[in-house]
Amino acid sequence: MASQGSVTTARQRVARQHKHPVNQLFHDEATVGERVADKAASGIGSWWFLAIQSVMIAVWIAVNSVEFFTHKWDIYPFILLNLAFTIQAAFTGPVLLLSGNRQAQKDRLRLEHTAEVAESADKATLEILSEIERNTEATLKVLEHLKKRRAAKGGAQA
Amino acid sequence: MAQPSTQAPVSLGADDKARVVHRLRRVHRAPATDHKHPVNQAHYEDSTFGERLADRAAAVIGSWPFIISQTALMVLWVYVNVWAIFIQHWDPYPFIFLNLVLSFQATYAGPIVLLAGNRQSQKDRITLEHAADESDKGEQHITKILIEIKKNTELTLQILRELEAEGG
Repeated sequence: MASQGSVTTARQRVARQHKHPVNQLFHDEATVGERVADKAASGIGSWWFLAIQSVMIAVWIAVNSVEFFTHKWDIYPFILLNLAFTIQAAFTGPVLLLSGNRQAQKDRLRLEHTAEVAESADKATLEILSEIERNTEATLKVLEHLKKRRAAKGGAQA
Repeated sequence: MAQPSTQAPVSLGADDKARVVHRLRRVHRAPATDHKHPVNQAHYEDSTFGERLADRAAAVIGSWPFIISQTALMVLWVYVNVWAIFIQHWDPYPFIFLNLVLSFQATYAGPIVLLAGNRQSQKDRITLEHAADESDKGEQHITKILIEIKKNTELTLQILRELEAEGG
């Protein structure tokens, strides 16, 4: 399908190649803080992060509970691991809001852009309508003109 | 006789695009004022006290100053409770009270995230309703245009018949 192909090429577009003004402002002109926020959100919200976190938790629990390992720093009930979880959660919340705020800002910008475009599209539609009305009027006049001419001709013949 | 149209057609030319981007850039960096889209106006300018508070909370917690201060406070807490000499250690290793404080933060951050998400989904709902209204309006315009063109075609056909009658 043609539309599918165009979505694929749109997906491949990266920074500074965006076509839509909202993407240009939002991604291409993002500040350093905004770029880091995007990176943080996409880093935490990825399967890599989840997988690495799971492996680290498994290693932590294994080392601290299995007899074989001699160096133990956080035995049952894993109070330091609890703190690590809490720290992760304490940072995930703000980062979630950070990325949510950014998305809300984009939504706001997109609607503003829609309003701008809709306004001129509305004007164009109304102009098309009035142009066609003018055309109809002109055609009507041509028709009347022809009718009058035929009537005059018919009268002359009669 | 109808004069040929001398006005330029209304469509987004290069100048208009530049103007739109300029305005968007201004709105982008100075939020919450002067919105053009009715959904933005309803969402930001006509929001209730509770909604404004939710937006403020989300904006404060979801900001770099908050994240940086939290990090600094955490590092300071751990440093003081491990290495400080002249201050009493109120929460020694493994920092159980720090755990409680951070859990407290996370307990509130979760609901605030949902508060912000709910507000966003409400906005999405209004956006779609507004889009449906707008598309109704657009459809009306198109129907009008179609009727007008049909009328025009009818007249043109009549002219054709007149001309054929004249020629024949």
